[in-house]
Amino acid sequence: MSVLEVRSLLVRYGGNPSPTLEEISFSVPRGSVYALLGRNGAGKSSLVRCLLGQQKPTSGECFLFGEGVWKRRARLMAKVGVVPEDPDAPPSMTARQLSAFCAKLYPSWDAPSVEARLARFGVPAGTPFGSLSKGQRALVALALALASSPELLVLDDPTLGLDAVARRAFFEELVGELADRGTTVLLTSHDLAGVESMATHVGFLKDGKLALDEELETLKARFRRLRYANEATEDRTEFGQELADFDAVRVKVRGWGVEAIVSNYEEESFARFTALEGVVDAESSALSLEEIFVAIAGEASPGRNA
Amino acid sequence: MGRMTRGLTVDPSDSAPLWRQIEDNMRRLVASGALKPGAAVPSVRDLAKELSINPATVAKGYQRLVDAGVLTVRRGEGTFVADKPPVPPRGEREKELEAGALRYASLAVTLGASNEEAVVHVRGRLDFLRKKREGGAE
Repeated sequence: MSVLEVRSLLVRYGGNPSPTLEEISFSVPRGSVYALLGRNGAGKSSLVRCLLGQQKPTSGECFLFGEGVWKRRARLMAKVGVVPEDPDAPPSMTARQLSAFCAKLYPSWDAPSVEARLARFGVPAGTPFGSLSKGQRALVALALALASSPELLVLDDPTLGLDAVARRAFFEELVGELADRGTTVLLTSHDLAGVESMATHVGFLKDGKLALDEELETLKARFRRLRYANEATEDRTEFGQELADFDAVRVKVRGWGVEAIVSNYEEESFARFTALEGVVDAESSALSLEEIFVAIAGEASPGRNA
Repeated sequence: MGRMTRGLTVDPSDSAPLWRQIEDNMRRLVASGALKPGAAVPSVRDLAKELSINPATVAKGYQRLVDAGVLTVRRGEGTFVADKPPVPPRGEREKELEAGALRYASLAVTLGASNEEAVVHVRGRLDFLRKKREGGAE
């Protein structure tokens, strides 16, 4: 069963002619790490708010553990741990006090785990939240999110603005949680390198629609960069048809030849391609998730979420 | 742990899936003698933490190595390099050798190496690995 399921979600804000989210449907299988990617304004934040029952969609529905989120929010949220993009808490409260406060709300609150994690992170449990750095606040939020042993962890761009040490600590703890409990994770992130080594599934929001929704391994296998030179031969009558077998996302003609990014690479079709009349020195290379992102988004950087 | 995993690195931007990279690299460490029969390998959790990758990915690579007889799991103790190096079925062994040779041959051709030059390097590396295994030096 899916831990999370979104069905035909539509979100339209008043005064805005085009919907912010349109026809969004996907599901997050148990034990997976689902990365939700998209540029600024692609609708990630709206989607996350709907998923957490913080916002009522214009139409469509989100389900957590098979139940509608909007109607059963209070009950369902007990099984969800959330690390928001900008963790917020009363600035005068220490992490220890926050933990004690949360313990009253969750029946199975593991207070010692909070202390243990903060010790591992090197974050003082007795310092007021408002005096902690951004990285320390994110780590406190993670320690609190994990203390209820959630079945689903929602991370909204958690490593944004963290330094290398805090980022490493964050991922180590996440890995430990995945190894120990197999927790299902939904995350949004601008840290594509981090996502690439952690995610099992990728969803890509573009202009309010879900442009991609598939396993990371499949995605990486089908996207490839081809480089080749076009040679005029006696038997050759036309150029530009050589890529007909591929779905070319981008094609650039360069001084030495052609560079194309294709979205349906297969060994066999590439072998046929290399044998085409006039196609010489053809080679294919893998793309990083970031390169795939850029090819789809059509921009150099995913940018910061507003 | 650092010592055991030295040389076991992965590259998320590589075209090979991460579990395959773990599988291949661990095989290489065993083949080179850097990991001796009976040696302990890091737990799934530790290796995942060290490489900052999803533990399910490490587990998949390990499972394939266990299935292939390269690693063994001793309940409650951990995962170890198998006592006897695995002998894959004849056909499969042949296929793997061919596939590996094809990868190297493609590289050599791409770099414009002559057959003689390419073969010299293969011989050199073979000698190097065998000496390492026999000498027992890491």
